[in-house]
Amino acid sequence: MFTHIWHKEIRGELYTWKSMLWLLISSLLFSVTCYLLLTNKELSLLDQTELLWLLGKVIIGVGLLVITVDASSIITTEFEKETAESIFLSPVSLTDFVLGKLLAALTLWFAIFIVSIPYIIVASAGSHLAIPFIAYIALLGTLGVLGFVLLVFAISLFFRSSKNTLTTGLIILLGLSIPAVFSSTLKNDVVSQIISHANPIDNIFSSLDNVLVDYKVSLLENWQFIVPLVVFCLLALGLLAFAMYQFQKQGVIRSE
Amino acid sequence: MNMTAIISIKNLSKSYAGNKAVDGLNLEIQKGEFYGFLGPNGAGKTTTIRMITGILQGDEGEIAIDGGSVHDKKHVSRLLGVVPESRGFYEWMTASEYLYFFANLYSVPKKNQEKLVTALLSEVDLLKRKNSTIGTYSRGMKQRLGLARALINDPKILILDEPTLGLDPQGQLMMQQLLKKLSSAGVTIFLSSHLLDEVSRLCSRIGILHRGRLIVEGTVDELKQKTGMKDLTEVFLHLTST
Amino acid sequence: MNMAKTLITTCAGIIFLSFAFVAYAQAVPPPLSIQILSQNTLDGVAGDYVTVKGQITNAGTTTLNDVTTYLSLVDTGTKLPVDLEDWSAEKGLYIGSIDAKQTLPLSWQIHFVKAGTYSLIIVAEAGSNEVPQVSTITHFNVAPKKNLNPGQVLPVALGTPIVLLCILFVLSYRRKIEE
Repeated sequence: MFTHIWHKEIRGELYTWKSMLWLLISSLLFSVTCYLLLTNKELSLLDQTELLWLLGKVIIGVGLLVITVDASSIITTEFEKETAESIFLSPVSLTDFVLGKLLAALTLWFAIFIVSIPYIIVASAGSHLAIPFIAYIALLGTLGVLGFVLLVFAISLFFRSSKNTLTTGLIILLGLSIPAVFSSTLKNDVVSQIISHANPIDNIFSSLDNVLVDYKVSLLENWQFIVPLVVFCLLALGLLAFAMYQFQKQGVIRSE
Repeated sequence: MNMTAIISIKNLSKSYAGNKAVDGLNLEIQKGEFYGFLGPNGAGKTTTIRMITGILQGDEGEIAIDGGSVHDKKHVSRLLGVVPESRGFYEWMTASEYLYFFANLYSVPKKNQEKLVTALLSEVDLLKRKNSTIGTYSRGMKQRLGLARALINDPKILILDEPTLGLDPQGQLMMQQLLKKLSSAGVTIFLSSHLLDEVSRLCSRIGILHRGRLIVEGTVDELKQKTGMKDLTEVFLHLTST
Repeated sequence: MNMAKTLITTCAGIIFLSFAFVAYAQAVPPPLSIQILSQNTLDGVAGDYVTVKGQITNAGTTTLNDVTTYLSLVDTGTKLPVDLEDWSAEKGLYIGSIDAKQTLPLSWQIHFVKAGTYSLIIVAEAGSNEVPQVSTITHFNVAPKKNLNPGQVLPVALGTPIVLLCILFVLSYRRKIEE
């Protein structure tokens, strides 16, 4: 059942140009970034590993931003455009509905990832880092995106408004991104270190640094970054489960 | 509850911010009946319909659909076809794609889908525009498409909330003829409408809701006799004026 | 009258002593000196590394301690000092002690970061008691790097958005056909 919702969403995103425009914007951002980084490498201002790390951060950052914005409206527009009632009158359960939408959001992330691969290959030329880079962007990006999508979906079901969901989602994304770009010298106290260990974006960037700069490519060498990401996804899933329970209690049409 | 009734509502209540929208409603619809559900704006008609379809949770009371609980989604969605008050559509879809999508949701076998979709579009006179996007449709065309969607699962019970609202006379006539045809085929129809003339012509029994309570129920003749009024309009105005 | 005479005499004395002091200072050469041995004009392209060679001498009779050299680079086009962030890792070079009459060789690796014309001077100082010494000016002429396609990035940077645009138009066209 959820596959029909998933396919409907994909087709809707293609025919309304929504996902294609996101992919085009992402591609342009990657093009500018890659060109500037490689120009700087040409001037020997950047080591290749530093260049790849910066590119990795841009790919993940763009992915998280695009998916947060997309996921903010993917459920809420059903209520705003009054199509939710006809969906829920059919045999589709709330779980099928949410699962179909989740797969649609992840499909957009997957498309962004595919678009980023040529840039990764050209930036990694001459090094042995292309395959680990691609693999870790896939792993870390998917975990990060999954966590954010689950979180934003939970917010969608609470608010049922795309404007409120988008604002809240972006505030959370900004709130987690800003500490992640602080240099390590600003993370020497206990509180900063705790926040850093818990922050999913910080863990993604630190793991990329570990893989690309220190060449620690095995999963075992990155477990301390991957585990917090998995925990983040599980917490977001828990919040979504609670939101779905509340939604079902209130009904598709909420008591005003 | 009467076990022969296809829709059975007992002591149903619903409040919004302390105001009773539906107040202790008791109602039974018999199988094959064409029931007209009338009431002024704010009487609680749409709220009642949403509770019958399971979209909205009632505060108190029970609803049974053909012997099963309204909370049994699989059971209810198989039986009901609904034209709800909210008329949202996926504007980027064509009419065909829209009906195919719902055919898939209702698990209509793939081999039957093309025939079913063509038949429904023909029935609501949208076959010529089946490949146009819904965004290009007029309001009346969208409402007809909504009716086609409500029939996709060959429902036993058809619930309609103001289905002819905004339709031109031809559109209204087409809709009414289709509903008569469905009623003759044995489909139970629960119609909420403000068009009293339409209701008095189509419905075998009528209930009038006022301030959340069912104040009177019966055939048009019974209502005229009870109130001493000449026609349904006078009956309605007399009963809902207080 | 006596007051005025005293005042004029005192002022004249102070002025005479100042001149004497300056004359003394100029008459005695400073012990520390720094010389650039490379050519006084170096040419290159942005991205190149060049080495500027020099030497530092203690011509005095006692050991000089805490000797440090500092680079100073000015963009002669904009007449503004340049942030040496990526230009050199030896912006400040601590040498320590130089014995009397000792000469030490020095070199600085300079990375040409940006195209333009520049002037480099090197300042040497020995603790806080000595007057800092300055080298001669070394001129840099840095030509721009003319590679528009570093690492073959252009086909990807331009090609990927173009491919996506084409897909967008194809989807749009097919949808119109279907309708």
